[in-house]
Amino acid sequence: MNTSLNLDKDHLTACISCGLCLPHCPTYQVTQDESRSPRGRISLMRGVENGLMPLSKEVVESMDTCVQCLGCETACPSGVQYGELIAQTREVLSDHRKVSFRLRVGLWILLHMRVLLVGSRVLAVLQRLRLVPTKALPVPSRIPLRGGRYVEHDDPEVILFTGCVMDVWLSQVHEAALSVLDSIGIRYMISGNQSGCCGALHSHAGFRSTAKNQALQVISALPTDLPILVDSAGCGAVLKEYGSLLGTQEAKFFSSRVYDIHEWLINDSKWQESLPPRRLGSRKVIVQDPCHLRHVQKAHGSVRELLTPFVDCLELDDEGLCCGAGGAFSVDQPELAKEIRDEKLKSIQRAGGHLVVSANPGCMIHLESAGVEILHPIQVVAEYIGGRDDHE
Amino acid sequence: MNRSRQGDQLFRELCRDIGADRVHRDGASQLLYSRDGSAFPGGIPGVVCFPETTQHVVDCIKAANRHDRSFVPRGAGTGLAGGAVPCDAPLVISTTKMNSILEVNYEKRFAWVEPGVVNLDLTKSLTGTGFHFAPDPSSQQSCTIGGNVANNSGGPHCLAYGVTNAHILAIEVVLPDGTLVELGDVDGHASGYDLRGVFVGGEGTLGIATRIAVKLTPDPPEICTLLLDFMDVADAAKTVSAIIASGIVPAAIEMMDKRIVNVVEEFVKVGYPTDAAAVLIIEVDGLPKGVKIEVERIQSISLEHGARSVRVASSDEEREQIWKGRKSAFGAVAQIQPGYYLHDTVIPRTKLVEVLEAVYEIANRYELIVMNVFHAGDGNLHPLLVFDPQVPGIMERVLAAGEEIVQVSLDAGGVLSGEHGIGLEKKRFMEKLFSEEDLAAQKLLKDAFDPDGRANPFKVLPSGASCGEVNHLNQLPDGAWV
Repeated sequence: MNTSLNLDKDHLTACISCGLCLPHCPTYQVTQDESRSPRGRISLMRGVENGLMPLSKEVVESMDTCVQCLGCETACPSGVQYGELIAQTREVLSDHRKVSFRLRVGLWILLHMRVLLVGSRVLAVLQRLRLVPTKALPVPSRIPLRGGRYVEHDDPEVILFTGCVMDVWLSQVHEAALSVLDSIGIRYMISGNQSGCCGALHSHAGFRSTAKNQALQVISALPTDLPILVDSAGCGAVLKEYGSLLGTQEAKFFSSRVYDIHEWLINDSKWQESLPPRRLGSRKVIVQDPCHLRHVQKAHGSVRELLTPFVDCLELDDEGLCCGAGGAFSVDQPELAKEIRDEKLKSIQRAGGHLVVSANPGCMIHLESAGVEILHPIQVVAEYIGGRDDHE
Repeated sequence: MNRSRQGDQLFRELCRDIGADRVHRDGASQLLYSRDGSAFPGGIPGVVCFPETTQHVVDCIKAANRHDRSFVPRGAGTGLAGGAVPCDAPLVISTTKMNSILEVNYEKRFAWVEPGVVNLDLTKSLTGTGFHFAPDPSSQQSCTIGGNVANNSGGPHCLAYGVTNAHILAIEVVLPDGTLVELGDVDGHASGYDLRGVFVGGEGTLGIATRIAVKLTPDPPEICTLLLDFMDVADAAKTVSAIIASGIVPAAIEMMDKRIVNVVEEFVKVGYPTDAAAVLIIEVDGLPKGVKIEVERIQSISLEHGARSVRVASSDEEREQIWKGRKSAFGAVAQIQPGYYLHDTVIPRTKLVEVLEAVYEIANRYELIVMNVFHAGDGNLHPLLVFDPQVPGIMERVLAAGEEIVQVSLDAGGVLSGEHGIGLEKKRFMEKLFSEEDLAAQKLLKDAFDPDGRANPFKVLPSGASCGEVNHLNQLPDGAWV
């Protein structure tokens, strides 16, 4: 099997193989194998592109095992666009490899809200009846029995993007986000079922055309010029990338309206006016940065800024290493995801404290299933200043 | 039996001896382990082995002996002289999975580590204990201690603390015939010849280290980092000499010229002065009163020698960012051009001004971009020639300019390598530095450890035969990436 990956040559040559990315790659960290590192993956891409390497099983595995956390991009002093390279490679590979049945089913369900909703209710009941083991599926240990209850305003100022699984599995996070907006007097609407899934997981898995379809659907469902606030780092990252994904003026304008909710709040004057004069508690909270917030959106600082008036933020000592959730990665590569998570758990233990916050549903679910006490940062904020406090 | 059937037999035996999942010979692994961080396009490994214990390493080397193969030890593959490039289809023995810190003895201030432990990981694991591992090569976040031992690595802080050799107490080594020995002694009581000292810097040509006892250095009570900028490179160089001449030995003195400062600032954004001709990073450590006095003296000396401004890092974070910039410098050059070739010569500090001038002149004459970023305090130059390998005829110019830079350094009384090693890259210059007798004596030493020439062949010493792959450096195949 010999094929071209159609990669940008300038992006490929930009890597000089210095190896400074190695400690920032979660898969290299747990395998110590070049084929599981950004430098190695780029070398293999080059090998394929200049005809030295066929698209062998080993090459496909090397690309498939990338979490796409993009920690390597942050670490690269030469600014290699690894994200572009791996996304393009995965798109070409999606025609060549067998995608696991679990992943295919999972990605299909995300596009069918009704199936997702009904399936999740059934699962929620089975969980209550203890008929499914808590850690058997990549879902929260306690899926809500009912959907989120959102009271929208007429004449809204902002839109909260509610997405797909998060709306069904972690609606308490959306409720917390809205209660914070309530408390500072921001009028809002939600994106709801019309917009549906953002396509982030499909994009990661190499199904870019599905992701493009979802982008078109989301953009047409939210035609206003209101700011779109997102409380899922993975969704926020892809919504911000719609502009480059579709390349249209409309998509670029849409992307310019997207904000991570923490990022938006700290810059909002109503938020700043309503801040408490002094810290409200001495509670310690460990901040775990989702990769799509830290390495892609680079908005992780705003989580700390938002939390600091209320709690003590403890830092992890792993410089933003991925937790192994990686969108659909934990479904597609469960063993590697677990090994990566074990490293994160050690780092959490070294940080002291108990409660971890993470601004992405994937990370929350992945860490929770290892027994970590975890909340979304906006839930912690809502506990202190939320307009309503009914998420427990 | 032909070579390929022999190879099959060797592969089967390795799988049997160390476990099939630790032995790779697929095309992807062969490509990935064909090169290191240097400019060499790479050789071809026979089999890539990932031992996890000393016994695995012994088994690998014994298998190589049975099948008359050579072997190449490899750490993180960040080397810049081609030391880990496999020649003649050897076993590549990657020690990256041997990465445990085995014992830390605070009382006697040493730690036993496996060779695959990453340099910075050791220091991080010591956070809060009051100790660290002093050698800090710029690649310290990625490179392994085994690789540091092989190359006798330096680093900015080796000016005051000494290079790797000064921090290695004992080494467990698998010799090229598979024998296991321990060189040196953690209590420093070894008698007879210092074979430990011979092994450090052996570039994998004397055997493979499987356990290393490193010295732990107490953290200094006070650290002060200064960033000085100059409108003339010569003023910066004179300042370096003047500081040392005044009797002060700072923990580190590093220089970066304008071009490299600009790419580094683009990455770290810590406020490096991008209009200056050169900057010096000077770090002073020790007892608070002494640090204060030395900082004041350095400030006045540098202002006398033309420094435009002196910035004192006001927080640990600022200090770390300044160092992050310096330590990312090599990795950042692809912002300018996708290929680089650098030398590592060491010259007497007093000759810094004229040698730097000559380096710029040589690069100009060959119409090449040169960036200087180096350990100024100990005169260890790193002139980086950056270029686009796709430009026809560029390699000839780069190699010719490199050779002139080496010659200028040697003429100034310098040596070939400060810390990167000779590897493949500099062995063609060995005859410029050493006489035939010198080289014959070194060959006797190599033969005493490795009579069959099995350990990392074609490295360090010039030989009649040459690793075929090395010729690639002179003639890049079309479309190759350097």
